[in-house]
Amino acid sequence: MGNEPAHTITRYDQELDRLRGIVARMGGLVERQTAQAIAAVVNQNEEAALEPPELDPEVDALEREAEMLAIRILALRAPMAVDLRVIVAVLKMSGDLERIGDYASSIARRAGKVEVLDGAVSFSALRAMARLVQENLHMAVESMVENDAERAQEVWKADTAVDELYTTMFRELVTYMMEDPRKIGPCIHLLFVAKNLERIGDHATNIAERVYYAVTGEMLPSVRPRGGAARTNVEQPE
Amino acid sequence: MSVEVPVKATGMTQPLDSATTSKDAPHPVAMQVRGLNFYYGTSHALHDISLDFPERSVTGMIGPSGCGKSTLLRVLNRMYDLYPGQRATGEVIFDKQNILNSGVDLNVLRSRIGMVFQKPTPFPMSIYDNIAFGIRLHERVSRSEMDGRVEDALRRVALWPEVQDRLSASATALSGGQQQRLCIARTIAVRPEVILLDEPTSALDPVSTARIEELLDELKTEFTIAIVTHNMQQAARCADQVAFFYMGRLIEVDSTARMFTTPREQQTQDYITGRFG
Repeated sequence: MGNEPAHTITRYDQELDRLRGIVARMGGLVERQTAQAIAAVVNQNEEAALEPPELDPEVDALEREAEMLAIRILALRAPMAVDLRVIVAVLKMSGDLERIGDYASSIARRAGKVEVLDGAVSFSALRAMARLVQENLHMAVESMVENDAERAQEVWKADTAVDELYTTMFRELVTYMMEDPRKIGPCIHLLFVAKNLERIGDHATNIAERVYYAVTGEMLPSVRPRGGAARTNVEQPE
Repeated sequence: MSVEVPVKATGMTQPLDSATTSKDAPHPVAMQVRGLNFYYGTSHALHDISLDFPERSVTGMIGPSGCGKSTLLRVLNRMYDLYPGQRATGEVIFDKQNILNSGVDLNVLRSRIGMVFQKPTPFPMSIYDNIAFGIRLHERVSRSEMDGRVEDALRRVALWPEVQDRLSASATALSGGQQQRLCIARTIAVRPEVILLDEPTSALDPVSTARIEELLDELKTEFTIAIVTHNMQQAARCADQVAFFYMGRLIEVDSTARMFTTPREQQTQDYITGRFG
């Protein structure tokens, strides 16, 4: 996305660089939010739980800034080809990033409520899922910053494993809830945590799709590889 | 008219592309350029150009100054014949005939392939006679029929309401935009099959430009149109397919939507995004 020769009009390049800078900064922030949210739940780190919601206003402000700048460039520069694709991708990616920030905040806010489950419920699936989602998000942000279509495609493929882990957790938690109704409250919070992680994974995949389009001009297939859902024997809420 | 060939087979399965072209593809080809080379004396201006002009659609030709796009336009109705030392080799197939052949009747050819230039070129005569002049060159028509043909041509370029009360006034008194529409009316009055336009709006204000572009959209239901333009946005707005030329070579041709979102060639991309040297 930024590997093209310079525009004849220098200010055009500066504006596009600024736009890329905004989403790169958003990427860094939401990675931080996600990491802290996961630490808050998995390690029961109370301090970490505070940070994601605190960072949210900054992420939101950057999203608005990206949107305003993108509209401005669309209106004033009439961008074509790769420039047009990058701007449209940025518009959509900034939305994805903002949502990731929201999900991370939501996870962080639930950290205190899943506490009683520690020990009772195995966190191993959650840990595995959290690690994968973080990896995918990191790769997605990296592919975005480095215009790396190949890496974007890797992220897109890797989402299947996240879906599978979510399904595993879903089944596990349903079993716990049936065994002991007193655990329903914390289990539901944990289920939301897992769902939010899964959503973060989806948005990371979206980002990868936008990067791929912006760089290559081609769309990844509309049906992305999906895992899990087909193998649940309990109706799975979306 | 002439050979049935699909507009173009790019082999791409781009959702954007199929969404914008499926409804009107494939058009038969009105004009087929094959292995065309053109020389201004010893200077080799066009190199081995092959390009199809689909019937009843607009082909936009873009590229930096001196890339050969206007030269190609001038080959398409043998305008270059007016100048000594200029010659073309290869084929331009129109109605099953290579129009580059020496036996071609140029007057007939130019009535079937009309041309509109960058600067409006009204003849120094009345508005009425500007239209009637071309018709008289090619046909004998009665006075009443001529009145009908003139009115019809002026209506089709949406000039009729503005000039119907002063048909005998001098055409040179019209505004630039009106003059250009008059020139288009003059071209279509002789009922051509192909209309060539060489930067037809570069001397016009935005409102007149929009009128001409609107007019093209209407005319393409009946005529095959080739337009040379320096204005990328104009090509994007008007053309169904766009051809990019650079240094006398055709670099890329594709549907307009694809050319402006995902061109295949780096040179095309650099040009249309404003990254040219």
